[in-house]
Amino acid sequence: MSVSNVTATGINRSERITLVRFIGLYSFLVLMILILGSTIYFKLQKDLMLQTKRLELEEYSKELIDGLKLLHIYFDRYRTYPRNPLYRSAIYDADHVQIFSTLKHPEGVQLEKVIYTTDGVIQYIHVLDSYYLGTKYTVVEIDDDRKWFAQAWRNILIYGGFLLVIFLGAGVMLMRLFLSPMRDAIHLLDRFIKDTTHELNTPVSAILSNIEMIETDRLEPKTAKKIKRIEIGARTISTIYQDLTYLALNHNIVSQNSDVDLSALVQERVDYFRILAESKKIGIETDIQPGITLYIDENKMARLVDNLLSNAVKYNRRGGEIFVRLRPGELIVKDSGIGMDEKQIKEVFKRYKRFDSGAGGFGIGLNIVAMIAQEYDLEIEIDSQKGHGSEVAVKWDA
Amino acid sequence: MGRIAVTILLILSPLLSTDINIYEQNCVKCHENMPVSLDKFFFNYLLKYSSERRVKQALRNYLKHPRRKASLATEELVSRYGLMPKTDLSDEDLRKAIDTYWDKYKVFGKIE
Repeated sequence: MSVSNVTATGINRSERITLVRFIGLYSFLVLMILILGSTIYFKLQKDLMLQTKRLELEEYSKELIDGLKLLHIYFDRYRTYPRNPLYRSAIYDADHVQIFSTLKHPEGVQLEKVIYTTDGVIQYIHVLDSYYLGTKYTVVEIDDDRKWFAQAWRNILIYGGFLLVIFLGAGVMLMRLFLSPMRDAIHLLDRFIKDTTHELNTPVSAILSNIEMIETDRLEPKTAKKIKRIEIGARTISTIYQDLTYLALNHNIVSQNSDVDLSALVQERVDYFRILAESKKIGIETDIQPGITLYIDENKMARLVDNLLSNAVKYNRRGGEIFVRLRPGELIVKDSGIGMDEKQIKEVFKRYKRFDSGAGGFGIGLNIVAMIAQEYDLEIEIDSQKGHGSEVAVKWDA
Repeated sequence: MGRIAVTILLILSPLLSTDINIYEQNCVKCHENMPVSLDKFFFNYLLKYSSERRVKQALRNYLKHPRRKASLATEELVSRYGLMPKTDLSDEDLRKAIDTYWDKYKVFGKIE
């Protein structure tokens, strides 16, 4: 599985993701509320317009009924339908059959309603008590000038937009308020690590340098073994110290890039970890092509290699194997350890993430790897199966 | 095509004239002697019952069971000529007579 798109995942990134998700959900809800409000407002505006027009249409309807009454009485003498240029009309019988119509949209007539808009016209229905010419329903129609429509939309867009901005602003403020305790906790942890790191340096250096000065050949095998264990412990602390120093202090400093002899560096780091690996009876096999170089900060590359090796040792089984292969454009560290499932692979680069609390460490190793990889455009691929070990490949343009 | 139409018309014309005859013989014959013409009655039915279905149904009910309450004629007319006698037409002939009456005075297609 390729995880090259997974980069350093500090608090700011996770904060941003949470913020985006919250804002997304919040915006959706706010939009729903605004749409509901706009719909009600729109309906009210329409009803208001129809009520205003209704008075006018009622007058036209009365005029039409008077005309129908006369036509009903004198139908044997003249048969001209009462017309008026101010409106169009139609008459329907009790079975909703159209008797006569001058309507522009007779197909939109809804006799069960009173007043409504349809296809750009307003239609008003009046139910008669005396059915002149058999007319039970008169329909009076005028054009809808749609001024109310444009006005309502303008108001919805202006006030709706204004409210949306206010709601979103409030949402961001709420979000920051909710995130504040979490952020404080993370800052406290970071500060604690930073302070602790300072205090670690001197004693660890003292232990390591003094161990190196001891001539183990002259010691009894039992004592030499104990000294070796002390050295392993001190080196483990030293690795953790290097990682913490990188996180707390170094990664913000400008990189000192140069052509690094990767072959030598990887070999040196493998040798450094061999003692640690031996303590778990883990064998390290290497296939390092000599003369491979990369333009990178040497310290950062060492941190990257150290963390891959450290994890390969840490999460390996007792008596397991580690295989390190270096080729132009590719560094592979393969172990025979506990492995990971798909979900774990996705989360592996998150800071303070540990899958085996018994294995020790702070869960910052692969977070550092991801940060360095991002800085130098290195691609990281993880191929892992639960129970069958993991293979981490770091790739770059050779 | 023309021939078929003419043939159908020739076959139907006696039938149509029979329907008109039922109306003429059974309705017009009596009403032509009255001061209120049949079209006035028609428009009174239209005024009260509105649609074709309802007008025809009201006419059929009245002609089969004439009652003062159901009559649309004025008091004066009823007192002078009395209520119509119960029709002795068969249901089919009554339907034909009412259909002819509706077709003769209906407003559909006549308004300009």
